[in-house]
Amino acid sequence: MPSDQTAVLADIDAILRGVLGDFGPDAEITMGTTFRDDLGMESLDVVSMAGRLQARYGDSVNFAMFASTLDVESIADLTVGQLVAFITDSLDKVPAAS
Amino acid sequence: MSMVLANGIELHVEEVAPIGIQTGTAVLIHGMTPDSMASWFLTLAHPLAETGLRVLLYDLRGHGHSERPPIGYSLSDFVGDLEALLTEHWKVDGPVHLFGNSFGGTVAFAYAARHPDNVAGIVAVESAPPTATWFARMGRRLAWAAESLADANAVANSRPLDARRIKAASLLSQTSVGAELPTSVLPAPELITEIRCPVLCLYGAESKVKDSIAETARLLPQSRHVVVEGQRHTLLIKAPDQVRAHVLPWLSTSVH
Repeated sequence: MPSDQTAVLADIDAILRGVLGDFGPDAEITMGTTFRDDLGMESLDVVSMAGRLQARYGDSVNFAMFASTLDVESIADLTVGQLVAFITDSLDKVPAAS
Repeated sequence: MSMVLANGIELHVEEVAPIGIQTGTAVLIHGMTPDSMASWFLTLAHPLAETGLRVLLYDLRGHGHSERPPIGYSLSDFVGDLEALLTEHWKVDGPVHLFGNSFGGTVAFAYAARHPDNVAGIVAVESAPPTATWFARMGRRLAWAAESLADANAVANSRPLDARRIKAASLLSQTSVGAELPTSVLPAPELITEIRCPVLCLYGAESKVKDSIAETARLLPQSRHVVVEGQRHTLLIKAPDQVRAHVLPWLSTSVH
């Protein structure tokens, strides 16, 4: 796994543990972890990550655009890996500060 | 998750920044349980942000991640939450576009009846203004739901496990919404008629909500009504493409 993905996965791990609080998983969160079956998250729980993602990445990661590509009933089938890939792609597109 | 204190309770809010230069502000209001802000966030939040709108979302009291007080579920409580969020938390200046799904549309119309100058446009999906007819229907439906869901154990033990029914049962059993909401003090019809902003109403052809079209059209002669074939009350989440296809062109021609 590329190092930038490793770093983003660590961010998502921290965000998810913050969102889930005491209901967070005992097991490690991996790229294959699913939001619904593994983490017990509903679509609203996934949506409620928006504020934390915004705080972490600012406007360079457009979570609402990512969410709009998903269907209301299938968002929970999402894997952590799909979200990590979207975030690393978005960060790659940000011009490096000169 | 962003929680704010407004109107005396903790409400879950989210925000999507406008893309490009801001052209206005939209507040997206979901319907009665099991609905939550997710149905708007996943369908229209981004497309509206792309038109330059600052998009604001919240979970209604008793719903989603917002606080669930045992009492305080009259229409004016719901409108008071929206007023408090707009003025104290989001600090919005100027008129807003209100988008409401089902009961969320009723909250939008009720807010507009109180503050007609603060609303630039209303999009109501499977909804109606707060009329006596509409609230009588809502009362019958809440009573029916309470009766059929009264035995929470029976619901929890039913297979397959139906999360939507369990959510509805817990709101009805833990709060006074079933008693309070149908007996809400409603705005006078003259105040609804004072709403002069553009109004777009969408309905599912297979849903009974479209029976309210005549009354809404009489109260709000400027309102436009679209019935989407093959859809039920779940129009927004089942047919988001069609909702977007009606809403976005209407926004650019009627409002901007």
